[in-house]
Amino acid sequence: MTAAVRAEWIKLRTVSSSGWLLLACAVVTITVSSAVVAVEKCSSASCAVDTTKVSLTGVQVGQAAVAIVAVMVVGGEYATGMIRITLAAVPRRSVMLAAKATATVVVTAVAGTIAVLGSLLAGRIFLPGNGFTVADGFAPLSLGNGPTLRAATGSVLYLVLVALFSLGIAAAVRDAAVAIAIVLGLMYVVRTLSSLVLDPTWQHRVDRVAPMNAGLAIQSTANMSKLPISPWAGLGVLAAWTAAALLAGWLLLQLRDA
Amino acid sequence: MIGEMTPVRGRRMAGRDGFAQLLRAEWAKFWTVRGWVVALALAAVLTAGVTLALANASSSGGLDTVAAGPGGVAVNDSFYFVHRALAGNGSITVRVTSLTDGAFPGLKEGTVAAQPWAKAGIILKDGTQPGSAYAAVMATPGHGVRMQYDFTHDTAGLPGAVSAASPRWLRLVRSGDTVTGYDSADGSHWAMIGSATLTGLPSSVQAGLFAASPWISQNGNEIVTRASARLDDLSLRGGWSAGGWGQCEVGVSYLGGGNGGEGRGCVRVTAEGVRPGSAAESGGTFAVTGTGDISPYVPIVDILGGVFKGSLAGLIALIALGGVFVGSEYRRGLIRTTFTGSPRRVRVVLAKAIVIGAVAFAAGLAGAAIALVIAGPDLRSHGWTSPIYPLVSLGTGTGLRIVAGTAVVLALAAIFAVAVAVVLRRGAGAITVGIALFVGPLLVAAAVGQPAGAFLLRVTPAAAFAVQQGIQHYPQSTAVCLASHGCYPLAPWHGVAVLAIWTVVALAASCYVVRRRDA
Repeated sequence: MTAAVRAEWIKLRTVSSSGWLLLACAVVTITVSSAVVAVEKCSSASCAVDTTKVSLTGVQVGQAAVAIVAVMVVGGEYATGMIRITLAAVPRRSVMLAAKATATVVVTAVAGTIAVLGSLLAGRIFLPGNGFTVADGFAPLSLGNGPTLRAATGSVLYLVLVALFSLGIAAAVRDAAVAIAIVLGLMYVVRTLSSLVLDPTWQHRVDRVAPMNAGLAIQSTANMSKLPISPWAGLGVLAAWTAAALLAGWLLLQLRDA
Repeated sequence: MIGEMTPVRGRRMAGRDGFAQLLRAEWAKFWTVRGWVVALALAAVLTAGVTLALANASSSGGLDTVAAGPGGVAVNDSFYFVHRALAGNGSITVRVTSLTDGAFPGLKEGTVAAQPWAKAGIILKDGTQPGSAYAAVMATPGHGVRMQYDFTHDTAGLPGAVSAASPRWLRLVRSGDTVTGYDSADGSHWAMIGSATLTGLPSSVQAGLFAASPWISQNGNEIVTRASARLDDLSLRGGWSAGGWGQCEVGVSYLGGGNGGEGRGCVRVTAEGVRPGSAAESGGTFAVTGTGDISPYVPIVDILGGVFKGSLAGLIALIALGGVFVGSEYRRGLIRTTFTGSPRRVRVVLAKAIVIGAVAFAAGLAGAAIALVIAGPDLRSHGWTSPIYPLVSLGTGTGLRIVAGTAVVLALAAIFAVAVAVVLRRGAGAITVGIALFVGPLLVAAAVGQPAGAFLLRVTPAAAFAVQQGIQHYPQSTAVCLASHGCYPLAPWHGVAVLAIWTVVALAASCYVVRRRDA
């Protein structure tokens, strides 16, 4: 297993695109978050802004890069035929998939941590200048604050789960392009369409089961009573999607030829 | 010797390298891959299915009570009316010397700026019931003199605001079914603004002076505004009734349903404190004050445009199909065989684009038509009813435009994916670019609001969703436009034109690079 993980790590490290994509994940996340907190204004004294959540907005964009990295870990090998060499070297397919998952988890966790910490730092720097001052009841963002720490670690976990979800889908469909369409479609299209659902009951239901809508509940630190799903339960929903995707990928990998 | 060499292509092969053969080859590549045919069917199913799911999950929660105008269009028709009967042909001429506008403090607190579409002037109307046919010439604070008739028609006259130093003379002339509007800045030199044909207008109509000012929404509260005008130099010609002027509120709604005023005809309101409208005459000068609006009623929620966003799911499937159709040839090296067989590469790219565009159009047409046929009655049963939300079927112009437009948008999106995949030589990259350009702007626009969101929906491929709008917008009707409610800043086919430009540019780029580099 160790050798398989090392092999996957070497493959990930020596392909230029994965490094660039992980860098893009961190840079895009921090850039988008910074842009959002730089324009977020608090005009009246009673503004009810969830500063932690606003500072972590970039995760919604950065997750696309993480998803592509994870899809390419599997899909890229199917594209070039490399998968046959990999399976010749590591014939036990469960081990191969676990090794790929491990390598993916490690790199996305590192990139995600940098992205999340950078985003919170941007919020800590910009928000007090935009009217979110201590006097108005907005303490500077700090990991010492329980809910903020939960949102930060949860956001990293969210990115890791998105990566594993993408890995599972890619293993199931054996094609990078199709896997990317499914992952980004399930994330962004469902998110876009759920805002068009006008019936509050249905909107509530969609927000509880859609992977991106439910998973991002982990970023909320204010107005908790209005959340359609509690933070950890929301992340649990995403974890369930991930488990299902990995299971499907693993089963199909066992059952058919490469 | 040379003449006796066997030609590369014998006589039997002549005509086998034409564009038609190339199209056939690409078509054969498409339909013989089972997964792609399944993806195409899936696109049609997703287009219809997600649209229907959205329709099923949308209840109106009660609509405003509005009048229906000529042709059944939903209208605002409330104003203060100083009226008199006119039998047969005739004319009315008046001078407007002032028009001021502001909030009505008796009903709602707060000060507001003058409404650009507040209006006062002369009107000739088929009775005093809200929604009846009319023609009017009016002064407005922000849009100069206008001639409007039957709610949806609006023609500009003299520009500029009205003041005592710069008054405006207005005139309406009825001759049979035709009502013509004129304006003048000095009372002697007249210009025709336009003429209206009000078919079936009875011989006897109500005509006279009016004032109205549309209400505004501020922080979720509706603020009642009112316009006050001074009009003099009145002259009447034709069969005007001998009695004096009557006056009333047409279509009072500010009293609320409990007071029996909701959507009713001509009501004389006398209770103190609830009288935004009034009129008085002294020495030939009329002071008329009124609230309300005479305009098409444009709801905030464009439900049809909203639910048809369900076609986004089908669009993603077709973008994936377009990307994979090209990407798999590069992946497996088949592209080298293709280019060997047909060395003119641009024609190969175009053949691929035509095949994918055609099948995507067919899938989109089928999916959107099924969605419209089922979603129309479904929306009606969920409370989206006439006259605000008339039933849109395949037989109506709006229905045809939504169905055909959706099919065109899906086809252009698939062709765009083909072109990007050729440029990138990868299907996955094309799909990522496609999703970013179609879904990204919708997400960002919903998050950032106006005006940055509106800008994105003008210039990105997502502008094309404008073709799915079910509610018509009018310049003379101020309404909030939110993409999350199915409204788009561009006119329906202008949005499709934006996407067409993106597609043509991408195709041109793909034709350029495919000639320049190795496969």
